[in-house]
Amino acid sequence: MTNFNWLLDGSIVGLYLLVTMAAGLYVRKYVGKVDDFLVAGREMNVYLGIASLAATEFGIVTCMYTAEAGYKYGFAGATPGIAMALSMLVIGYTGFCIKPLRDSGVITIPQLIESRFGPRIRWAAGVVIVLGGLLNMGVFLRIGGQFLVQVIGLKVTSFDLWGFQIGYLEAMMTVLLLAVAAYTILGGMLSVLITDFLQFVVMSVGLIAVTVLILVYVGWDKIVATVDANYGAGGFNPFVHPDLGWQYVLFQVLLNFAAVLTWQTTIARVLAAKDSMTGQRIYVRTSFFFVCRFLIPGIWGMAALATLGQVTNTLDAMPAFLSSFVPAGLMGLCIAAMLAADMSTDSSYMLTWGSVIYNDIMAPFRKTAWSEKKGILINRMIVGLIGVFLLFYGLWYPLEGDVWTYLGITGTIYLASISVLLISACYWKRANSWGAAGSIILAAAIPVMFLILEKTPGTRDLAKAIGPYYSGIAAYAASGLAMVVFSLLKPRNGGNV
Amino acid sequence: MKYFWLILTIAAVVWYTLVTTYVAYKGVDDIRGMLRRLAG
Repeated sequence: MTNFNWLLDGSIVGLYLLVTMAAGLYVRKYVGKVDDFLVAGREMNVYLGIASLAATEFGIVTCMYTAEAGYKYGFAGATPGIAMALSMLVIGYTGFCIKPLRDSGVITIPQLIESRFGPRIRWAAGVVIVLGGLLNMGVFLRIGGQFLVQVIGLKVTSFDLWGFQIGYLEAMMTVLLLAVAAYTILGGMLSVLITDFLQFVVMSVGLIAVTVLILVYVGWDKIVATVDANYGAGGFNPFVHPDLGWQYVLFQVLLNFAAVLTWQTTIARVLAAKDSMTGQRIYVRTSFFFVCRFLIPGIWGMAALATLGQVTNTLDAMPAFLSSFVPAGLMGLCIAAMLAADMSTDSSYMLTWGSVIYNDIMAPFRKTAWSEKKGILINRMIVGLIGVFLLFYGLWYPLEGDVWTYLGITGTIYLASISVLLISACYWKRANSWGAAGSIILAAAIPVMFLILEKTPGTRDLAKAIGPYYSGIAAYAASGLAMVVFSLLKPRNGGNV
Repeated sequence: MKYFWLILTIAAVVWYTLVTTYVAYKGVDDIRGMLRRLAG
């Protein structure tokens, strides 16, 4: 039984959607150049950057997988948040890679890679970034729709529209996508930044309110006792958890360090900043948010465990708990907060992967420079096509295992190689195109092979025996090794790829 | 370890509340400035 009240909560959600859409569409008139569309004319300041970075990297999918991690592993499930916060703090404080990247004035990472490794490597880097990014984002819409259907408490699965049976989940996914696509296609990064700001405020108020409610009514002692009873010491320490261990912690450190350096949606905030110092400040001041990002929904997941006990589908535990725990009125704020979180993430991701397709994959096929007007039109078409892809992939792809692991493995397809390429481009003079090519091929092959092994019935047990953490660590190790070995093998003069 | 997570949880809720309030206040100026420069 859900506490969602269509009149009270529905009005709150409707008002939020109306204000967001109006703000997103209003600023489209400021878009005059491709630079305005892709990086907001590089005019973003610190506080808008903090709001945008936090809103972008927290979607419904984030809330679902972090809550699932809390439900399945207790407090130990929040380890990735600590790894990411420390990575962002160190990189922001030192300017490691992000300072030379922003100072170079590029729009995307492959653009910088071209200056060291040539146009072919730039194109290949663009392809793996888009492949990893779109596979990663492919599950966002479905999980967002799943959350909303569960929390609103729609018991029936479909409704009749002009003789067609339409599933509520599919309808939710489509409406979510259309709302986000409308302002992203028209206003690009400018609309994304303005709506991100509004969404950050709404999302944060909702997250804090629900968390305080849980800590007051479920209680800290009950949450801790539940984690202790279900997982023992492993619920508080990832090193002694039977399903996690040192390989989990090492994979999280590698994954999150690489993500802070090269995850294009994160780095886009540095590239849209006024200068490299502003970009570094955004990183330093947003870093602790990534602890909150894992710990706060993790507590929601642990509260679900304390209230509902063990359930079959761990991903649905948190929304099922919220639907009966959060009272009417606050439920509207909670759903508006989650919609805000999801819309800001989807819009940024669509724009970002679109910018790589436009800037790095299509670049070699341009015979002459495109006009600003044509460039903006093509970018808008790419964002629209990405939206269509997301809808169909989300409907078709059967998700297995926990969501965070799927995101980690698909993200590794590009993070393992692009992080090595970026570090080498910035700091290793001997790095060259042979090393870059070897790094890209090996780093993409290992996670793709793991996903294939996992999906093939005959090899599923083998994939389970290897596990996602060893597979992920292998991808990073192989990528670094390939860069060193192949770079040293290439003759100092000649030997083009 | 339980006290570590207790301290981290309190820090997360307090920090998040303060940052949200401050960013909501200062972010409006950032947006005005950005739109003014873009329209300039």
